[in-house]
Amino acid sequence: MNHPEKTKGAASSARSTALRYGLALASVAAALGLASAFVHFHLPQTFGVFALTAIAVTFWYAGTGPGILAALLSSVVRDFLFDPQTSTESRLLFDLVFLVFALLMTRVVRGRKELEQRVAERTAELTRLNDNLKREIAEHNRVEAELRLSEAYLAEAQRLSHTGSWAWSPPPGDIRYWSEECYRVQGFDPKGGQPRYEVFFQTIHPDDQARITEVIERAVREKKEFTFDYRIVHSSGEIRDAQSVGHPVLGPSGDLVEYVGTIIDVTERRQAEKERERLREAQADLAHASRMTTMGELTASLAHEVNQPIAAAVTGASTCVRWLTRDNPDIVEAREAALGVVRNGKRAADIINRIRSLSRKGDSRRQPVYINEVILEIIALLQSEAKRYSISIRTDLAEDLPKVMADSLQVQQVMMNLIMNGIDAMKDVDQPREISIRSQSAEDQQLTISVSDTGVGLPPQQADKIFDAFFTTKPHGIGLGLRISRTIIESHGGRLWATQNSPRGASFYFTLPTTLASAE
Amino acid sequence: MSPRSESKFVAIVDDDDSVRDTLQGLLKSVGFPSQVFDSAEQFLGSGHHRETACLITDIRMPGMSGLELQARLNAEHCKIPTIFITAHGDEEMRFQALRAGAVEFLPKPFDDEILVESVRAALDR
Repeated sequence: MNHPEKTKGAASSARSTALRYGLALASVAAALGLASAFVHFHLPQTFGVFALTAIAVTFWYAGTGPGILAALLSSVVRDFLFDPQTSTESRLLFDLVFLVFALLMTRVVRGRKELEQRVAERTAELTRLNDNLKREIAEHNRVEAELRLSEAYLAEAQRLSHTGSWAWSPPPGDIRYWSEECYRVQGFDPKGGQPRYEVFFQTIHPDDQARITEVIERAVREKKEFTFDYRIVHSSGEIRDAQSVGHPVLGPSGDLVEYVGTIIDVTERRQAEKERERLREAQADLAHASRMTTMGELTASLAHEVNQPIAAAVTGASTCVRWLTRDNPDIVEAREAALGVVRNGKRAADIINRIRSLSRKGDSRRQPVYINEVILEIIALLQSEAKRYSISIRTDLAEDLPKVMADSLQVQQVMMNLIMNGIDAMKDVDQPREISIRSQSAEDQQLTISVSDTGVGLPPQQADKIFDAFFTTKPHGIGLGLRISRTIIESHGGRLWATQNSPRGASFYFTLPTTLASAE
Repeated sequence: MSPRSESKFVAIVDDDDSVRDTLQGLLKSVGFPSQVFDSAEQFLGSGHHRETACLITDIRMPGMSGLELQARLNAEHCKIPTIFITAHGDEEMRFQALRAGAVEFLPKPFDDEILVESVRAALDR
């Protein structure tokens, strides 16, 4: 069974062939008709001319096969209808003319085909090139649009971050590029065009100019980066804080080609930093005041804590004297007693140093510290206070904990507040009184420290208020201890919270990020 | 030292090991035998309190205090001459201790002569 498409193609080809050969017949018939008409009207017999025309037309439009057929038909028609009486030589001559003409036309048709082929190829090539060009134009337009969008985003980003970018040739060069935001930051009118370096320099605060000149000259001389803070004096008289960073661009031979860099308006950032600094100072003052208040409450216990080693030292010294003033002085025992005096003297000094360090009003200094050491330091100071109320302090401190980045004084203050709260909560409790302090690793590179007591627990229905400022359940409390503690822990990137213990007491937990977490 | 004191010893109860050790050293320098305990509970649990000729105890300690220890001994009719040493001492506490039968109440740091004489007197009883 034939395929319909193939059948259709074959039919079309046959129709084309029929038309082409039909043209041969038609063109020779037309030549015959015209020649006959000429004979009828007694005009010169011109079949040869018309036949050649028919052959040429057939060759041109129908191809070689039909053209040869037209030549053969023309020869037959001329021999038998127009010159039947002519000699054989003459007939052969005419046939030769038709044959030569047919051969010429064959050559012409082939030439035309080759030409058409070349034209087609050239046209295809041009079409391809045109398509490529269209694609390139489209790509160019797309890239240009993206570039415009990117520039718009960049300009917006520069505007939002108050960061301008520039390019500058070192002396005696001038500013090569000056972004839109640079105009705004530096207080120039963009309509005034790219500013000259001298004009830019004039907007720098006079007190900063000499320093900046020195920084830039040294950077240019050493072909290094430069960074400087400076103040800009706008034409309105407003003074803005700015920071500029410049990066050298070197040529292949290491010569300095230009500097590219940024200008950032840091006025708001500087103001915020000053505000933060003021806030930090206020918090430090408050924390110090709170610490001193607590230390005041601890006076009796701290005196006891210092008194213990002093008493031991005094007794040891007396013992030493006794060993030496015997009838037979015992140097070994006396030496042992004297060493005890030294030990206890040092212990008293350590305690006084701890008290002094807790009393100092130092700047907040964060450094890697072992939390267990911080905990044990504060326990050493509060042991007497706990003992005063027959409270035992139990520790469960995990070993090999990583360091935390912390201000140990502030963390000690938190521990002091929590332990003192625990002591307060157990003063009037008849049950066994115990404070448990635990340190352990938690998730996300944090440490968890807990202080649990067996006291009266959190105030009913008000557990969520204990961290509020000025909330207190103590008769003489001011309600700042837990608030300050939470502020301290949160400023370290940790959390502080409390839970009710069962059957009694409360637990306070806080987390601190380890130095590993701080480094990320 | 009297013959009576040779068979018994002085018990020192204090949670502070440096105070404990120096007291023991002092008593050793004058020839008094002693034993140390870091809490009232440890002393009571030792079973030696009936052999104790004199008790030197701190008042404020974790758990049972020195005054509570004295009260417990009194309740058990165990009359040990007791010397209190304390860094938290006040008049009311002193009065309370002496009324309960204490032979001396010494604030820290104390005069070693007074302590030694008080112990000697207790042992000579």
